[in-house]
Formats: sequence, structure tokens, C-alpha cells
Amino acid sequence: MFFLKYVMIRTYQNMKGNLFPNLITIGIIAVSMLIFSTFTLLAFNLTNFLKIWEDKIEVVAYLKRGTPSSEVEPLINRTRLLEGVQVVRYVSPYDAMAFMETKLGRQKNLLDGIQPAVLPPSFEIQLKKEFRNSTGIKEVVADLKKIPQFEEIQYGQEWVETFSVLVHILRLTQWILGGLLLIAVVFITSNTLQLTISSRRDEIEVMHWVGASPSFIRVPFYVEGLIQGLLGGGLAILFLLLLHQGLFLYIPPTIQDWLAKIPVLFLPPETIAVTLLGGMVLGFFGSFVASMRVLKYK
Amino acid sequence: MNEATIGMHHVSKTYPSQIRALSDVTFEIFPGEFTFIVGPSGSGKSTLLRILFCAEKPTDGEVVVQGMHVTQTGFRKIHQLRKMMGIVSQDFKLLRDRTVNENVAFILEVTGHTRKDAKEKASEILRRVGLEEREEDSILALSAGEQQRVAIARAVVNSPPLLLADEPTGNLDAKMTIEVMRIFGDLSQKGMTILFATQYTGLIKYFPYRVIQISNGQILDGKKVDVSKTDEEKAGE
Repeated sequence: MFFLKYVMIRTYQNMKGNLFPNLITIGIIAVSMLIFSTFTLLAFNLTNFLKIWEDKIEVVAYLKRGTPSSEVEPLINRTRLLEGVQVVRYVSPYDAMAFMETKLGRQKNLLDGIQPAVLPPSFEIQLKKEFRNSTGIKEVVADLKKIPQFEEIQYGQEWVETFSVLVHILRLTQWILGGLLLIAVVFITSNTLQLTISSRRDEIEVMHWVGASPSFIRVPFYVEGLIQGLLGGGLAILFLLLLHQGLFLYIPPTIQDWLAKIPVLFLPPETIAVTLLGGMVLGFFGSFVASMRVLKYK
Repeated sequence: MNEATIGMHHVSKTYPSQIRALSDVTFEIFPGEFTFIVGPSGSGKSTLLRILFCAEKPTDGEVVVQGMHVTQTGFRKIHQLRKMMGIVSQDFKLLRDRTVNENVAFILEVTGHTRKDAKEKASEILRRVGLEEREEDSILALSAGEQQRVAIARAVVNSPPLLLADEPTGNLDAKMTIEVMRIFGDLSQKGMTILFATQYTGLIKYFPYRVIQISNGQILDGKKVDVSKTDEEKAGE
């Protein structure tokens, strides 16, 4: 308890005595963490959008023209048995025509003179949850292609693949940038703490002389690093929240309508906790590096 | 016979620049002894003291302080050794942004005493060195002699059994030197072992304690220190 009180008082004195360098460090940690968490937020929302889109994804298998109606029922049963298939719905040419009329609304007269028979019958296949991703879809499609009665199979593969690649690039950028920022933050924190240590060198020398234990000398600086990291991380989250909240205020109404269909989420609590913890770890590591360099017992 | 408080056996120190600061130094100091280490500037006095408080490692030989083998003491145990000794230097090393009491109490705070306890103990020791009136004054308001008394109070506030003093009167005039030497004498009478490094042989004339003479890093055995003349007289010759 005494040690804790001592550490708190010393840390407060150190931070108060070197207020400007401390504020600069907190600011730099905040900016670095803001850049990193912005990428996290973007990747999180794109992943979320991809998940929503994948949940809705279904495969359409078009039957060859002239497939006898007697073959439809056994074909439905055969398709249902394929791994990854959850529901199979048969769409006859008449159902397809009715669907198109509904879609066209007032312009349905465009379909005048077109016979339903020109539209191919199809199966709308819903996949099991674990197959609703680019790899799972490809597996089911490969099995469907083995059935000779199907002429063509569509599943919006370009969308799924492009989106997956985009999310991967974002994640990769996030971690590469994160790594570079991490090194920068450790370097900056370490240098600020060296300034603090340097301004207290007489005190530290006296502490060395009288046999103060290394923990009495070092722990206040470690706590200083932790606090800088926590405040930097907290500020980053706060700025990100303001950016997230303010996003819609400056977007034209037409784009807002489109965006309204996509939920733009904020970081979940566990990611916020990890960001704050990450800031603290960075701050601690910076102070640890500084103490290794200049707080050796001599 | 008592175990020696300090034991230096065939200690040598050569710096990487090949400067030999100490050469085969051997002596022992027993509990309660007041010993002067006398030698001219650059003779190796400070190196000897720095080895005793683990600021430097000897190149050869064995050093035992308070039963601990300094040469084998690892980084993690240095602070344990230093808790058993007080250190006073020529340049005081006081914290200029603190009061007299705070300078002394600081030592106790960083070695595990509560703030209240540290303040009380600091007051007590400052009374013993005659600074009770100046406790709340800034260090900057004190004379050199008073600052050195604060440095001594700080070195002994933990009641260490051993006190190492490196030219503690180097920056003081004659009157202040006598004042400071009286405090060292009192501490010695109370049983503290004191190793006092100085280049001023005049001190030995007035304070008849054991003398170890050092020159060019070597102990001058059997050679008497000439105390018939003051340092100023010698300088004038």
C-alpha cells in the first residue's frame, strides 16, 4: 500500500514536472492509435457488410431447356442432398415471368409478347451458414456442375471475391501500418521518458547512492508510460467516435439514403478494450526501453 | 578480533585507456575506525571509494565491505550494499528544488519509510548537525558549509554503519572545515566507521586519526605523512 502511494505521488510529480513533453507523447500516441483504429473500424464494417451480404447469398442453377417436368422432383431431392445445401426452391418459367413483372412494376408492359417458355426454369439454392463464404460457395458450385441437367450456375462470385480481397487488403494495411506506428510510438514514448529521467537525474543519482531498490526508481516511470498509453488510446477512441458520429452530417442526402441500407457500426467494446490495452502496452514498452537505457544502477 | 568493515586485498584498477588508477592496494578498516585516505589529486582516492560503493569494478583483487564481496556483487544486490553505507562528496549532490528537510527525508522515502516518519527522522538528524533553524529553507539559501552539513545529515539519516566521504571539505573554508570535521568526529565517537578521502594533509595535523597514504594508485606503507607544514606552506615551497 505504501509502495503504491509512493509510486502514484512520484508518477504525478514526474508528469507534472514534464507536462509539455508528456502532452506531446500522449498526442502522438493518440494520433497513431487513431490511424490504426480507423483502419480497424473500416475493416470491421466491411467484414460486417460482407457477412450480411453472404448471409443473403444464394446460388441459382438454370436447368437445360426441355428438361422433362418428371425429372424436376428427383433433381430437387438430389440437389438437397449435396453438402452445404439448406433449401432448394424450384422456379418455373411462369414463376420467373411473374417475378419479372413484379420487379418491372409499371413498366411490365415491356414483357408484352414474351412467352414464359423463353425463360429457363431454375433452382434457387440457399446454403448452410458455414458455406456462405467464397470457399464454401465454390465447393457447392463444383458439386452442382457435376449434375448434367444444369446448364448454368450463377452466384455473384465477382462480388464475393472482390469484397474478400478488399477486406484482406484492409486488414493487411492495418497491421503493416500498425507495426510501423508501434515502432514509432515506442521510440517517441521512450525518448520522452528519457527527457523526464534526464530532468530528474540528480534525484536518481541520489537514489542510486542511498540504495533505493530498482523498483522504487523504475516503477514510477513504467506507470508514467502506462498512463500516457492509456490516455493516448482513450483520446484515439474518443476522436474515432466523434468521426463516426459526424460521418453522416457532412454526406449528401442521396448518398445518405444509400448508406442507410448498410449499418455503419462503431467498434465493439472488446475492440475498444484491446485498443486501450494496446496503448498501455506501447506506453509501458516505451518506458521499459528508456529505463533499460538510462536507469542502470551505477 | 572483529571482522573488518572494509577489506581490500591486492586490488588493482586499470581503465580501458590503460591508465592504472590503483595498483595492488591492500588494507583493512575495522568497525568504528576513522581513517583518512590521503593523497594528491589523481592519486586514486576517488577510484578506491567508487570501487567500495560498487560504482566501479576492480580489475584484480578482492574487496569485502560489511561482509559482502563487492567484486561478486551482482547488479541486483548493489542497492543492498549501499543501504549499509552513507556517501558524502565534495559537490554535495543536493536537490536544489527542495527544502533542507525534504532533501534529507527524500532518502528515507525512497528506501521505504512513510512520508511522516521520514520528515520526523530528518528533523532529528538536522538537529544533530545544528540545522534545526534552517529545516524549511531552500537549499539555495544555505552557505557551502551548511550545504555540506545537509549532505552529511542525508548520508547518515539511515544510520548506516559505514560512511564514505570523498573530499567533503574540498569546497569549504577553514572555519567551515572545522565545523564539518566536528560532526564527523561526533559520528565516529558514536561508533560509525568512517573512510575520509582528502588531499589536504593539514587536516591530519588537527584530527589525529588513522592515515592511509596513497600516491600513484599505491599505498605508501611505512612512510609518514608530513604534517609539520600546512598545504599552503608546502605549495609555497
